[in-house]
Amino acid sequence: MAEEWVNWSGSLRFTPGVVERPNNEEAVRQLVTQALEQKKKIRIAGAGHSSVPLVKTDQILVEQGKMNGVIAHDEETRRVKVLPGIHIAEIGEALVRRGLSMHNTGDVDFQRLAGAFGTGTHGSGIKLQNLPGMLTGCRLVDGRGRIREFTQENNPEMMNALRVSLGALGFFTELTIQTETARKFTREEYCTHIDTCMEHLDELINKNMMFDFYWYPRNDLVKLRLCNPEGEGMNKLSFAHKIKHEEGWLYQILPRDRKLKFDEMEYAIPYEAGPACFQEIRKRVKEKHRQYVAWRLFYRTIAADEGYLSPFHKRDSVTIAVLQNNVLEHERYFNDIEPIFRAYGGRPHWGKKFSLKAEELRPLYPKWDEFLQIRKEMDPEGVFLNEYLKEILGV
Amino acid sequence: MSNKAVGMKKWAFSDGYIPVQSTGHEPDFVSSDKLSVLNTTKEDATINITLYFTDGEPVGEFKIEVKAERVRKFRINDLIDPQAIPLGVAYAGVIESNVPVVVQFTKQNTAQSKLALMGTMAFPLD
Repeated sequence: MAEEWVNWSGSLRFTPGVVERPNNEEAVRQLVTQALEQKKKIRIAGAGHSSVPLVKTDQILVEQGKMNGVIAHDEETRRVKVLPGIHIAEIGEALVRRGLSMHNTGDVDFQRLAGAFGTGTHGSGIKLQNLPGMLTGCRLVDGRGRIREFTQENNPEMMNALRVSLGALGFFTELTIQTETARKFTREEYCTHIDTCMEHLDELINKNMMFDFYWYPRNDLVKLRLCNPEGEGMNKLSFAHKIKHEEGWLYQILPRDRKLKFDEMEYAIPYEAGPACFQEIRKRVKEKHRQYVAWRLFYRTIAADEGYLSPFHKRDSVTIAVLQNNVLEHERYFNDIEPIFRAYGGRPHWGKKFSLKAEELRPLYPKWDEFLQIRKEMDPEGVFLNEYLKEILGV
Repeated sequence: MSNKAVGMKKWAFSDGYIPVQSTGHEPDFVSSDKLSVLNTTKEDATINITLYFTDGEPVGEFKIEVKAERVRKFRINDLIDPQAIPLGVAYAGVIESNVPVVVQFTKQNTAQSKLALMGTMAFPLD
């Protein structure tokens, strides 16, 4: 048996049978072929930031860390080929050296790119898609041990299935991403009251490339976070107190260090329902939960996309996240808030805590059955399935 | 201006209790325990707070910076690092600083709409 595997927050622990660390595509192909021959299962581990048991296995856990780096880039199209295990922070720096940038990042940057894609990781910005929106092509080893190659131009429907695929369709060995010309950004943070924030919410969202806010449940204050290309967006807000100003490349100033560990549940709800959903949760937290909850709620916006299992499938969305210190009990809190998210048509973040199973998830995703059909074709033996995936996919 | 350091490096308070309920507009009228730390020295103060409970292990250290020749006020309600403390339970605290400081402890109870406010000095230990 290998050593115990522990995720970032410490809320997920298991001991895999063996941990493999392939360093090239052929090694991955051999691992899958051997697993098929021995009728064993494989799960793929990224950086371990997720807090649901997507990676849990008592058989073969495959880490991506040795498949890390930039392979090539096309100056004309600004498309870049990378290996799946590259960290978000590493690719940010590598792209800037080439005069390029990702369109957005999440709140933290230590995920590996394939893992971030697989769970639908996102940042904030009403015109910006989630991170897998960058994916325009890939190579992978499927569940039959075959090396497959897909592109947006030749296989658009397959790419829509692959963008948020939970590691259920195969092991990515190469990712092609659409990048942008790098430019300098300004990031500002302000403090104000939640009522003031909600009065100005529409303009904050629509006049800034990236905007999100934290609400603090024990004092009703908020932190507004604005990030824009230099010279663009709102500045000198008259209704809030500025507490921070930063300038730099996007990858340098957007993600935050998160040394203090927490558990989190996040749902994506239709954009128009965001304020009402947030206010209902705010009322609920103040009435029932703040005896034990001091951590903030996190409100972001994300543009619609076509990913079959993307929480933002065909709808502009607001995401609202509830957080709790990882050393404190979170289930009673999360379980009480989750029905509010669901009442607003919420779709859970695949990498964070949620309780839904396949029969509750299927109605939320119009392309659910198409995804399952593709999964069956890509992995008929279920070599990439674990018990958790079987539960949430219903296979 | 005198450069004389005022205060002590170690303080304690024993009557911590933050009501669960509040009335009135927040944050001004939220029920709270507040610490006010005065640092008259030329050096930034690093404050470490350990909280003790009637039932359960101590929690800490909460770290607070108070810049040189400044005063800083903060609600204990708002602390989350290393973890949030529960409201509605009795607790006490020990405050340690790398430089002499003056610590005042203020309780605000708005569980009913008639504001109740009480301030006292924390107890100097050195």
